[in-house]
Amino acid sequence: MSNLAELKRDMEGCSRCSHCKWVPMAQIKSWRYAKVCPSVDKFNFHMYSGGGKMIAANSILEERSEITDTFADIVYACQLCGACQVSCQAYRDDIDLSDVLLQLRAKCVQEAYVLPEHLEVIDSMKREDNTLGMQKRDRGNWAEGLDIPNINKQKVDVLFHVGCQFSYDEELRETVRSWAKFLKDQGVDIGIAGKDEACCGGRAFEIGYQGEMKNFAEDMTSRVKASGAKLIVTPCSDCYYTFKYLYPKNGIDLGVKVLHTTEYVDSLIKNGSLQLRNKVPMKVTYHDPCHLGRRGEIYKAGWEGDNKLFRPVRFKQNGCLGIYDPPRDIIKSIPGVELIEMERIREYSWCCGAGGGVYEAFPEFAKWTAAERIEEAKSTGAEAIVTACPWCERVFNDTIEENGEDIKILDMMDLLTLSLGGK
Amino acid sequence: MGKMEDLANIVGKEHIKTDKEILESFKTSLNFISGEVPECVVEPQNLEDVQNLVRLANEKGFGLIPCSSKGNHIKGDTVPSVSGAVIVDLSTMNKIIRIDKRNKVAMVEPGVTFEELQAEVEEQGLRIEMPMLPRNGKSVLASLLDREPTTCPKYNWDAIDPLCCLELIFGTGDMFRTGNAVGPGTLEEQWAAGQAQKVSMGPAQTELSRVIQGSQGTMGIATWATIKLEQKPKIRQGYIVGGETMDALIPFVYKMLWRKLPDVCLILNRVDLAAIYGCDQKDLPAWSVVYSISGLEYLPEERLSYIRKDIEELAEKFQVKPVQHLNGISADKLVDIITKPCGETYWKHKPKGGCLDLFFLTSLEKTPEFITILENEVEEQGLPKENLGVYIQPIRHGTGCHLEFNLMYGPKQKTKAKALFGSASQKCLDMGGFFSRPHGSWADMVYKKCPDTVRVLKKVKHIFDPKGIMNPGKLCFGKEV
Amino acid sequence: MEKLSKEMYKELENVLGKENVSQEPALLDGYAWQPALNVTNQKWISRPIAAVLPKTPEEVQKIIKLCIKYNVKMKPHSTGWAAWGGPSEDGMLMVDLRRMNRIIELNEKDKYAVVEPYVCCSQLQAEAMKKGLTCHIIGAGPNTSALASATAAWGYGGSGLSTGFSGRNLLGVEWVMPDGEILRIGSPGCDSGWFSGDGPGPGLRGIMRGFAGTQGSLGVFTKCAVKLFPYYAIKEPKVKGVLYNVRAEVTKTEKLFAVVAPSFKTYADFTYKFGTSEIGHTIQRAPFGAFLHTMVPRATEKFTGNKSLRAMGKAFQNMGMLSLSSESEREVEFQEKVLREIVRETRCILIDISKTPAFKFLWMMNHRSIPTALTFRAGGDFTTSYGSPVEYDNAMLQAKVAQKVKQKYIDNDVFFDDFSDIGWGAINEGTATWGHCEIAAMYDRRDGKADERFQYLAESAETTVEYKMGVGLSNQAPGAWKIYGPQLYNYHLWQARIKKEFDPHLIGDEEFYVPSIDEIDEIMAEEKK
Repeated sequence: MSNLAELKRDMEGCSRCSHCKWVPMAQIKSWRYAKVCPSVDKFNFHMYSGGGKMIAANSILEERSEITDTFADIVYACQLCGACQVSCQAYRDDIDLSDVLLQLRAKCVQEAYVLPEHLEVIDSMKREDNTLGMQKRDRGNWAEGLDIPNINKQKVDVLFHVGCQFSYDEELRETVRSWAKFLKDQGVDIGIAGKDEACCGGRAFEIGYQGEMKNFAEDMTSRVKASGAKLIVTPCSDCYYTFKYLYPKNGIDLGVKVLHTTEYVDSLIKNGSLQLRNKVPMKVTYHDPCHLGRRGEIYKAGWEGDNKLFRPVRFKQNGCLGIYDPPRDIIKSIPGVELIEMERIREYSWCCGAGGGVYEAFPEFAKWTAAERIEEAKSTGAEAIVTACPWCERVFNDTIEENGEDIKILDMMDLLTLSLGGK
Repeated sequence: MGKMEDLANIVGKEHIKTDKEILESFKTSLNFISGEVPECVVEPQNLEDVQNLVRLANEKGFGLIPCSSKGNHIKGDTVPSVSGAVIVDLSTMNKIIRIDKRNKVAMVEPGVTFEELQAEVEEQGLRIEMPMLPRNGKSVLASLLDREPTTCPKYNWDAIDPLCCLELIFGTGDMFRTGNAVGPGTLEEQWAAGQAQKVSMGPAQTELSRVIQGSQGTMGIATWATIKLEQKPKIRQGYIVGGETMDALIPFVYKMLWRKLPDVCLILNRVDLAAIYGCDQKDLPAWSVVYSISGLEYLPEERLSYIRKDIEELAEKFQVKPVQHLNGISADKLVDIITKPCGETYWKHKPKGGCLDLFFLTSLEKTPEFITILENEVEEQGLPKENLGVYIQPIRHGTGCHLEFNLMYGPKQKTKAKALFGSASQKCLDMGGFFSRPHGSWADMVYKKCPDTVRVLKKVKHIFDPKGIMNPGKLCFGKEV
Repeated sequence: MEKLSKEMYKELENVLGKENVSQEPALLDGYAWQPALNVTNQKWISRPIAAVLPKTPEEVQKIIKLCIKYNVKMKPHSTGWAAWGGPSEDGMLMVDLRRMNRIIELNEKDKYAVVEPYVCCSQLQAEAMKKGLTCHIIGAGPNTSALASATAAWGYGGSGLSTGFSGRNLLGVEWVMPDGEILRIGSPGCDSGWFSGDGPGPGLRGIMRGFAGTQGSLGVFTKCAVKLFPYYAIKEPKVKGVLYNVRAEVTKTEKLFAVVAPSFKTYADFTYKFGTSEIGHTIQRAPFGAFLHTMVPRATEKFTGNKSLRAMGKAFQNMGMLSLSSESEREVEFQEKVLREIVRETRCILIDISKTPAFKFLWMMNHRSIPTALTFRAGGDFTTSYGSPVEYDNAMLQAKVAQKVKQKYIDNDVFFDDFSDIGWGAINEGTATWGHCEIAAMYDRRDGKADERFQYLAESAETTVEYKMGVGLSNQAPGAWKIYGPQLYNYHLWQARIKKEFDPHLIGDEEFYVPSIDEIDEIMAEEKK
């Protein structure tokens, strides 16, 4: 990945139009839900916006200012949700805003401006292969008693990679177990890595320790190879983004296809092998996880050049190929479920608040962001927010509990379970 | 040299009036404002005369009161508040300088009256956006500068309309042109380049037409103005919608304005309608919406037809009934009357001889509250309710309306009318009526309510008339020259 | 780097809270990057000494009083796009009005909204649409503050035919003046609601702004009422996609046409007739070259290299896009009939876009004034000139003169080749037939040709005077009053007197207005030397 200095033209291309702060203009449907960047919406100074951070990065490069603790705080008070890039690239061909944000963090790390909470994450990743400060040996506990083949023992067609959050989050345990059971019940030849599963490394990259991701990626690649799998299926959007975007962008090839569980289920429904017959009388709304939606867009490789003005539009990482329809199609195929959309959806969805190392370093800001989304969801009249990422579910659940909100958070699997006759 | 001699040197002796009768006529106005007798009346003939007069007033320290309309003055802004003032009678500067058909704009000197201008513009297939039935002799420029409401809300985009640009002499004696009349280039050069001085904004970051408007002659003297015109309809039909209350009429008017369907659109109570049409009040509904629709240059009949049908549908929805004839009143004729200047006798004076106008701006929706107040006041004063005319004029596409009460009185009702006028004015102000044109006794009342505005207006006055020679004592400004 | 005195900083923190005051250098640089319409040859504009985020007019008032107390100049901005949104000299306090973001009132019947500075036009329009109304959106786009263009900046909007002009749509205004006092202009000053902006007595709106605003030189506008206008299409639009992929559901009483005229003269004739006949909801010049260049800049560059293709494209330079809209099918049918009659009479070509697949995209673009930021696609920047508010014949004269002037600079690679088309403008306010013709020119400011672009702007100013084309955008450049003032009845001196009266402590950034009268003589004497 290019370093910060190589993105100088991108930064200098900023016209300061502030589209990065707003939902793309044609999609603004109300006063209330017109804004798209949690960071600037919470903290207000221009530097908190996508464009503002580009300007600040340029200021550092030109030595007009220096990185300070305050500067680093601002850089890290951002979920890297990518909404700014979608709104920017609606107009601009020559600015890769999200890359600047990633490289700016790398720059902070290089200059030793790091957050203690992020150091803990990195420490935990190094020592225990997960981001959560949990023990490696407990990683496979979630699958106890499920009788899922372990790839260390036998070859499988599909590697089911659950990620750090699903591995350890006990409140989400039933969900991830249901996923595994479901896939198994569908006759899929799945396997897991159990306690040997490790973090994808994406979180390290996002918080600026870009080199750290390499080790995890290599580990992942060899695990995939050893498993004999032709396909990775993951219920974690963060991992999905790492596999689909960060790895290829950084020249790492897993050698197999990667699908999010929602994509996999959607394909089962569409090819007729899964029929959801039980009625679930429920009004729900769907929250697009950033890392499955706009940031989950596959890395659009293939263009080389210095002047991005001449880069064909199809190479712009503008979120249009994110995973938006499969989860919605699943919901729509469940009898009785009414899907009511929020105003900010798909490419211009409002972030849950957890991403980019924010939940670890600025939990209050993460929950503020989540509360904003919960309010939007409630305004639709939905009884539940359905989503497809354990990180989103974690921060939503915590916020609901803290604020005493009356809305359910369901993973797609939870909804499927209801239709499949479970509870 | 004496003042009179100086004045004579500027305008010529023949243009100075000192006849007692003339001077006395300026001492009072028809709405009972009384002040000082002016020292003389001067009649400048051109820009240079006006500029020299202002310079002289600055030098010698006397007040100047610009006055453009002919005949009896009504609102009191030309009644001198100080002694020794000179009336600058601009009524003899009465050239229609230019009418531009393509751009629909006319340039007029202060003395041009609505009768005169209307005749000229109609010849060119145009018409003036005019106040309802302006009195005989009313100066177009004076009306524009007083921000008088006009009868077609759909052509009224902004409060300043239809005033465009001004040429004027500020109280400092400096000449200026506002809006896009400022240049570059002379007027002739601008005309040759396709311009017509139609935009009031500017130059740059000021819009001084707007500052002069509403200033009652306290900032300077305008020597010409441009006025936005409209196309004269090829065909026009008038309609009346009667109602005993305004309950259904107000939503209907709002909806018509939202659709931008009618040209003329206003509401009259039976007293005003009878006074205007010259008929008996008792045959009329309590309230009448009067509107017109028109066919323009292209497919006029078809235009009329679709608008008529669309309005019929709206009317059905709002359960009102537009008619072309109502108890002997022809709506066509009525619209014709109200879109022309008044004849010799002012319509408001016809029924009882006298009339006091209480007017302000408010929201159309709020008009019934004010009307109730006035009806109660009339009753309390023991005046017959047949004396209370009401005229509601939606303005600026209906973002507000001019609400005017016409307190008509006979010779014996003068005192009561006067008392009623005072108390009702205060009540309407207290209820949130916006007296945007604070004439006469309203000035003190209104400015008491907005000390911040007064503070700022004084700054403005200090810029354009630092010595206070322009119409001293008016609005919130001091009498000292 | 220069810093605020500790005392002032502390006082600002006391007023606003610690989190709403900053003097972090890189954060301040966030306010020093304003490439749009930056007519200097500097990449960065001045960096403010500190930045603050007030929430209420009272807080703004306290900030101004502190500026007076500590003799610090200030620069307010709302959504803050373009060079005039930033400080013009070092040491100024940046007042970012982002936290003042409410729609205070939306009056459906009287058709107005009261807004704070950080309500963007999209937000206001979205809320207004629910009530069958819409707002004026300036050409800069729906991401800009509805208050800023109406009070302190300027802006012509593509729907001006039915939604007027930014500065003329103002009703009541709340204004924190540079002397620290709060003024409510018009009806709100008399506790009579927000529905009226002129009076009692003289219209103070005329001091506050003219064609242009004073860009923060005369204080801070904290609330204003703007007129809203009828809107007849779907109230809660169903829109899919982002920008080019936008597909909106459109009611059948909405129509969109392109009209092509053979010459400037016939285009003007068509426009006069169109306006005077009281049909149409919007009209907007959309010359083929400029249109192409914003939509597909790279392809256009290839296109322009071929002389024959370029000539073919240029034949469509007098193209406009117009829309019809009503609640009533009858009305739209009638309007279309009249439109076709005018087209026939003026020998133009009419294309019914409503019947093409592009309709669902172009309708939304037009309705929300979305495409403007696309002018940045070509090279990241554009400048603009001419564009005075004038009768439309003169606007077309501006187009004619400007295309020649601009072509020279295109030939020298100072601007991208958009066929030297004139991309922006039309008539405003229904029958009024005065309008706007703004000459945008696109470039990549990273090319180091700022001096040539100054030359272009100077030439646009010279030709404005030579051909008598009204004072417009060319007059907004800093110091333009020095050229125009003496030719235009010394208007700058009146403004300078206003500056002195209203900003006695000179705390307002005067760059895009004029200096105080006390300073102006000195400056002019210096200029003469």
